[in-house]
Amino acid sequence: MISILRRSTPAYICLPLLIICALLSFNVLRQTLPELGSGALDFSAAPEAGVMSAIVLQFSVLPRMAIALLVGAALGLAGVLMQQVLRNPIASPTTLGVASGAQLGLLLATLFAPGLLAFGGEWVALAGGAISLLIVLSLSWHRGLAPVAVVLAGLVVNLYIGALSTVLILFHQEEFRGLMIWAAGSLAQNSWDDTLHLLPRLIIAAVIAGLIARPLGLLELDESSARSLGISVRKLRLMSLGLSVFITASAVSLVGVVGFVGLAAPVIVRLMGARTLTQRLLWAPVFGGLLLLTTDLFLLQYSARLPSMVPTGAMTGLLGAPLLLWLIPRLSLKGASANAGNMTLQSARVPVSRKFLLLSVLLLISTVAALFVTQSPGGWLFNDTAQWASIANWRLPRVLAAAGAGILLALAGATIQRMTGNPMASPEVLGISSGTAIGLIVTIYFSTHVTVPMLILAGSLSAVITLAVLILLNRRTGFQSERLLLTGIAIAALFDPLRSIFLANGDPRIQQVIAWMSGSTYYVDFPTGLGALLFAVMMVVLIPLVARWLDLLPLGRNVALGLGLSVNKVRLVLLGLVAILTAFATLIVGPLSFAGLLAPHVARMLGFSRALPHLAGSAMVGALLMITADWLGRQVLFPQEIPAGLVAALLGGAYFMWGLRKY
Amino acid sequence: MLVSLSAGAAVSSPAQSQNAPPRVAAIDWTLVETLLSLGVVPVAAAQIKDYQTWVGEPSLPEQVVDIGLRAQPNRELAASLQLDLILISPLFSAIEPTFSQIAPVQTLTTYNPDKDFWQNLVETTRRVGELTDRSSEAEAVIDQHRARIEQLKGKIPADTPPLLVVQFIDDRHVRAYGKGSLYDMVISRLGLQNAWQGETNMWGYTTVGIEELTTDGYLIVVDPVPMSAEGVFDNNRLWRALPAVRHDRVLSLPAVWSFGALPSAVRFAGELYQAVTDHTGTESGLGTL
Repeated sequence: MISILRRSTPAYICLPLLIICALLSFNVLRQTLPELGSGALDFSAAPEAGVMSAIVLQFSVLPRMAIALLVGAALGLAGVLMQQVLRNPIASPTTLGVASGAQLGLLLATLFAPGLLAFGGEWVALAGGAISLLIVLSLSWHRGLAPVAVVLAGLVVNLYIGALSTVLILFHQEEFRGLMIWAAGSLAQNSWDDTLHLLPRLIIAAVIAGLIARPLGLLELDESSARSLGISVRKLRLMSLGLSVFITASAVSLVGVVGFVGLAAPVIVRLMGARTLTQRLLWAPVFGGLLLLTTDLFLLQYSARLPSMVPTGAMTGLLGAPLLLWLIPRLSLKGASANAGNMTLQSARVPVSRKFLLLSVLLLISTVAALFVTQSPGGWLFNDTAQWASIANWRLPRVLAAAGAGILLALAGATIQRMTGNPMASPEVLGISSGTAIGLIVTIYFSTHVTVPMLILAGSLSAVITLAVLILLNRRTGFQSERLLLTGIAIAALFDPLRSIFLANGDPRIQQVIAWMSGSTYYVDFPTGLGALLFAVMMVVLIPLVARWLDLLPLGRNVALGLGLSVNKVRLVLLGLVAILTAFATLIVGPLSFAGLLAPHVARMLGFSRALPHLAGSAMVGALLMITADWLGRQVLFPQEIPAGLVAALLGGAYFMWGLRKY
Repeated sequence: MLVSLSAGAAVSSPAQSQNAPPRVAAIDWTLVETLLSLGVVPVAAAQIKDYQTWVGEPSLPEQVVDIGLRAQPNRELAASLQLDLILISPLFSAIEPTFSQIAPVQTLTTYNPDKDFWQNLVETTRRVGELTDRSSEAEAVIDQHRARIEQLKGKIPADTPPLLVVQFIDDRHVRAYGKGSLYDMVISRLGLQNAWQGETNMWGYTTVGIEELTTDGYLIVVDPVPMSAEGVFDNNRLWRALPAVRHDRVLSLPAVWSFGALPSAVRFAGELYQAVTDHTGTESGLGTL
């Protein structure tokens, strides 16, 4: 596959890393034990201080270094196994959603069933990780577990889990203080307990991995020859996946999510010349351990100068995203998009006009409910038009904004799905939502008085920057859909660690960030709401202009070219369009709504398949989804409000995962 | 005049005042606390259940309406309460434009790192007093609290060793409170020394591992201690090796809202005084044995 140097071995990269580690450790040790510098360990001079620093060394510094090595090794091993079994060079505990699934399991258990944790957090983590891996695999099953499909499904599951934990944090903010630090992957230790817990598990896992290494290596050839050697391929795969989930869960339950070591370690040792599986199984854990230790030692050295804490796991996550970006152009993705077009080609037999009528009626009902039906301290109320002034003041802007955002996201989603021929594509997946969110978080963090115009400016600016990155990185490959999506995934992957760092510091401004991130129409005033809807309607009117492109693109690059479409230019224009739509919608309802993923699907399930009706239908479904979500969010926990984006994500996400089995 | 600082007394005392108090909603807990200290019961407050857990004293009477999350209080509900005034802190300034359609919104800045912390609290109290027609009560409350702190300062031994105030986050991390925090301000007003001299964020704390708590003086652990951290006290070698632990100088204090106003400050001072004197009492008691 990919290799930089012909005759290199991973030792070439592990050795320098080892030397860096040694230097940094020496530095850290010298800081811990200042007596070292003056020659001998002279406890008599200052017995108090000497004893304390010796204990800090023994029970904090050394175990921390040990756990960094072990966790890095564990994730490296898990990554190698996942990549081998799925024959997917970008599979890893984080990209497949295993780590975040394990984490969500532990969060839920801590809040609602602390009793479960008495049996050991790792079993809860294991269940969480296994469930989310199962969902990822079943979502990508019909695409033959193609690498991009699997990783896309992983991202969607990650985003969904992100939405779920945002709800939990929103309503349990103070209780979450501690959990957030753990969740961000802090390696701080104060005893040898964690090391002694992880070490035997890692040894057992390594031994099992060693035993199945040979048959597993044969999977590289192809399944039939592996089977002809008398291997039960299915059992082998199941066992290796189970093993990798177990190692991941053990590590996550101790130190939280440590991003991207599981991806980076196997990929880099492979690049450095570890060609056989046995070599990779050997070198990836070594490299993973050293990588994490180096990162942690750097942080240990410099974090004392920062007023805020930067957890190591979040840091590796930040470092990992550029790696993924660098890796994407170097991946061979043949075969991944072979059947990309088939989903859009069934012709519609259903009378489309009746479906439009149905949607219009539903839209009307939901709008009326959203405007006139409400809970109050005294119970449910149906307001009549006499209260119109108050309704127009408080509810109308939100309904308008919800509808507008829903339409914009649905159009963006339908466009990107048709353009890439991938049913998992959505504005969220392209990373534009995440890019906008990153910009807003940074703005809120660095300014004392946050105003709405400032947020709009920052959000639009970061959307433009994200778009520029997307275009820059994909220009040479002609905006090929699979690569485009992977670039988006890498950008989206930047967002999680940033959010974790913010959360881990427990900054009081967090309420504001979370409230916005969860996608509420709360901050919308009447002009904004009206503006959003008008803009959305204008976009709907413009659909016919791009309908022909979107009918032709799913037929494949060659057919489209043959029919006289200048594919690259068209893709660039559409990409810009999607970015604008997404940025606007994200500013209104936050980065996590899933409307852009769901609405086009629902529209397709309803039988809208040609571009024009599909986009129009998607827009209606999007509006319906968001208006309903906004209304439900205002009523369910009255007087507390669940943000519309979250309600849409929770409702729609579940439906989506159910519905997607068919694709 | 006998000055009582208990919350109940403070709430009930201005009942005899002549004009009816304005109908106030307070979004920020610090402002809720300040209102209650002036004897003004807010009509509405945000996240009341969490307020009772994290601020606790002074407690909110039953009739106060919960208007939802602090970052997104329910506007329709607020509009139906015929409010005269809404008090917020800059942290939630994003709600100002819409809430000012319901009633006049006043933004009060308590956390301003450029100014003296005590003075900030005094000014917040004074401002709330002005806004609610309770100026004389505000001055009285300020004087009471100042006098109480002065009184405690006179009683607490000046040679009390430095204090390091922490709150446990989990079994590996604590928040250490330094410059810019309520606790630090109280410590210095009592004429004592804060042992935490490291960097702090805008709110006066920083998150560190327990190995950094190497003070020779007192280690003050403010409740609540999360369940996950309880194991640390019994069998963690690192914890047991901390100088304060070895010399039995760990003091546990009941929960005091770390972002509080004057009442929280004085409550912290009182609890601190109590804990330190109890401790030196037993120590000297041991000495005479």
